[in-house]
Amino acid sequence: MIEGRPDELHQQFDEVWGNPRGWRAATIVNHTRIGLLFLLTGLGFFIFGGLLAMLIRAQLALPDQTFMDADTYNQVFTMHGTVMMFLFAVPMMEGLAVYLIPKMLGARDLVFPRLSALGYWCYLFGALILAASLFLELAPDAGWFMYTPLSSLPYSPGVNSDFWLLGITFVEISAVTAAVELVVAILRARAPGMTLQRMPLYAWYILTMAMMIVLGFPPLILGSILLELERAAGMAFFDVARGGDPILWQHLFWLFGHPEVYIIFLPAAGLVSTMLPVFARRPIVGYRWVVVAVLTTGFISFALWVHHMFTVGIPHLAQAFFSAASMLVAIPTGVQVFSWLATLWLGRPVYHVPMLWLFGFLVIFVAGGLTGVMLALVPFNWQVHDTQFVVAHLHYVLVGGMFFPLVAAVYYWLPHFSGRMPSPRLGRWGFWLVFGGFNLTFLVMHWTGLLGMPRRAYTYAPGLGWDTPNLVSSIGSFIMAIGIATVLVDVLLHFRFGVRAAPNPWHADTLEWATRLPPAAYNFISLPSVDSRYPLWDRPDLVKEMARGEQGLAAIAHGRRETWGTDAVTGEVREIIHLPGNTWLPFAVALVLSAVCIGLLVKAYAVASVAIVAAAILVLRWSWENGAHEEGGTAVPISAGDPPLHWRTHNGPGRWGMGVTLLADGALYAALLFGWFYLWTVAPQWQVPAQSPLDARGMLANALLLTVATLWLRRVLAALRRGSDGRLRGQLAAIAALGLLQSAHLLWLMHASGLVPKATAHDAVIAVVLGYTLFHCVLAGVATGLQAWRVHYGYVDRAAPYEPIVLGQLWYYNLGVVWSAYFALVLFPSTWGGG
Amino acid sequence: MMWLYHPLQIPLGLIVWGVWFIALYSGLSVGCAVAPPDAAAGPWNWLNAVLGGASLATVGLLLGLSTLCWRASRRVGKNERAKRFIARVGASVHLVAALATLFIALPIVGLPPCV
Repeated sequence: MIEGRPDELHQQFDEVWGNPRGWRAATIVNHTRIGLLFLLTGLGFFIFGGLLAMLIRAQLALPDQTFMDADTYNQVFTMHGTVMMFLFAVPMMEGLAVYLIPKMLGARDLVFPRLSALGYWCYLFGALILAASLFLELAPDAGWFMYTPLSSLPYSPGVNSDFWLLGITFVEISAVTAAVELVVAILRARAPGMTLQRMPLYAWYILTMAMMIVLGFPPLILGSILLELERAAGMAFFDVARGGDPILWQHLFWLFGHPEVYIIFLPAAGLVSTMLPVFARRPIVGYRWVVVAVLTTGFISFALWVHHMFTVGIPHLAQAFFSAASMLVAIPTGVQVFSWLATLWLGRPVYHVPMLWLFGFLVIFVAGGLTGVMLALVPFNWQVHDTQFVVAHLHYVLVGGMFFPLVAAVYYWLPHFSGRMPSPRLGRWGFWLVFGGFNLTFLVMHWTGLLGMPRRAYTYAPGLGWDTPNLVSSIGSFIMAIGIATVLVDVLLHFRFGVRAAPNPWHADTLEWATRLPPAAYNFISLPSVDSRYPLWDRPDLVKEMARGEQGLAAIAHGRRETWGTDAVTGEVREIIHLPGNTWLPFAVALVLSAVCIGLLVKAYAVASVAIVAAAILVLRWSWENGAHEEGGTAVPISAGDPPLHWRTHNGPGRWGMGVTLLADGALYAALLFGWFYLWTVAPQWQVPAQSPLDARGMLANALLLTVATLWLRRVLAALRRGSDGRLRGQLAAIAALGLLQSAHLLWLMHASGLVPKATAHDAVIAVVLGYTLFHCVLAGVATGLQAWRVHYGYVDRAAPYEPIVLGQLWYYNLGVVWSAYFALVLFPSTWGGG
Repeated sequence: MMWLYHPLQIPLGLIVWGVWFIALYSGLSVGCAVAPPDAAAGPWNWLNAVLGGASLATVGLLLGLSTLCWRASRRVGKNERAKRFIARVGASVHLVAALATLFIALPIVGLPPCV
């Protein structure tokens, strides 16, 4: 539909979508701005982490250096690893995906823009808290994987480890929110006609990465919560004397930590699979096999975690399983490499600066992958464990597999950020300096490791054969730093001197090049229909048609932010997703959460408690401004013939978002149950009381009470789906009351159990399981009460049935949690010799 | 046979593989904690037999699903490309998962479980 001339349309869209300036810029929720903020903040932390790396190399350049003492060195190398992994690599990759995915899918925004904004502010505040620790000389110093018991209170009595545990958990909220957002956007907000097999490969990579974050980050979040509870509240989880086990931390960390490598690599490989065919001027070879390889890499990467623990005394057969899986993961990665090589071989490649970085990626990443296969072999792994060889390997994989494609991507998408083209000359200088410096640093470091130099040693004596290779590595690292500085200068200069970019300057196939350069906040005036995998190659006129408003959803007089909601498989239009506008809420929630974080850090628990209550109130307010609420511009009806707004349906993106969030939640809960069974099975001094502290009948009654409430809600939802909303408010209020009654009963059961979580790991784990259950049940009860209130205001009824249906999933989830807790905590111990 | 065209077929093979892998590792750990076989008996003992049997059953299941998906992909009409894509990717993923199961389970025939 066309409502006016393109310029007028742009003006009208700007009125609805435009970004405010000044201090009100903190209210922006638009994905383009949020993505850019992620990228710029990630760049800042990359420079910070890089400077720490320079300090490390300066210290190790010569033997017996006193440039840094051991304590400072411990803080510096811990922060280097932490910053690069958590504050640079993951946010950078997610930020780029947040920026690119809606544009590539032909959408105007991600499906939960306020969640994107919350993710960014949580990332920024958490990262600043963590970075501040270094300037206070209180930075974490137990290594980036924070092994217990070194990171436990007896060996790390200061707040150093607390900074890591609280700061990283805060940052991880950001990673998980962005992942939920990306999964649902890819599945439910693609351009009409963009079936699964027409999705850009980058979307497959990001879908896989995001699902890996959803399932992979929660074990570490749980581990961090448990370790912080042990440090701050004296509960027992990793303390052998009280029935805990420090190896449990290693399992929880590496359950996250190994997938993390692929969480970083896969989106980078997605960038390669996007850019390389453009420069080869032909479609990628073996699209379907690449999809299969990406999925396989994502899954198998979860079965490798124990290869980080080959030296802790696990049976040989178990080591062999993980060794085999570690070798196996090279195969799907190899499929992708051969696909890229075949694409180059069969194409007509043109060479621009991004291609240099792609070649650098291929060389370095393949070398890193090969040393990875070496490390998968148990005997070799034992030999080089904790040596500089491992440091060299991980830098080959991570710098080769992530940094090189990232720089290629920055050059490739520069016209998006500035509207200008990069300079070829300075870019080449930058590449060769980085490539040469990198190999000088880390190729030599393999030999330093084979010569026996351990990692994390703050200095070394002369005459051990490590002097020369360390000096060469340090020289190389400074050459690399000069190269990175050259790239940064090149990027900065291009904003002033770069040639203006023509539309679609690289002749790419994907829809992000159909925007203006730089793009407007709403991406497209009208949203395209797609009938091929390469829309801009097959329909070059599409760009102009979209800009003239000749494609779909070009109406804007209603004042709503809208994008298409489409079927996950067929890409057929199902609804109009009604997106929220700019708001202070995400910024305020993140700010209050950072107060919680700081309150816990300085042990000002009253402050933390007040902040938690404030955060809860803000989140409830956030949920209030939804759906039929007048803030969203609901007064003007949709145009005739258009599909309904999503909150008038039963299956909008919120339902999918709740499902994916509960997957993450379930991963955390599964990791908790894993911890329970793990400690029960292998903790060296596991202590089980003769009599279970839990009231078995009370627990059963509690589970039955929740079952009754959930079944009642199910009936209400079924009626709502049929179009009946009779006594809806009263029924929802009663169900909420029943849920809160069940929560109160659970609280009483906890109190009556007389658990002593400081005494044994047994009681500590039970306390956490019950606390987790209680939190979820209270949440469901309160949210359902809020729904009853919204019925009163007319925001929820048979014409707007969406929200209770979304909420229903939480009740079903809670039912699963309560019953599984009953089986794990009550029935299992009685059959396995406890209680 | 519409379930063979359901998008869950795409990751299903690897989900089955994941469940098998968890069962394999936890089964080994629990078996060794409860009734560890004699190390002198080598790889031929009750625990390896259970783990190996479960692995072979999983391989059989995955190969069967792969075959069904492949046949389903050949039955669809010319205009049902989405269905064909799902069935073909599903067949490939099931096959890959079967091979991964077989490869990772191989050490069962060579190593005793609890040493």
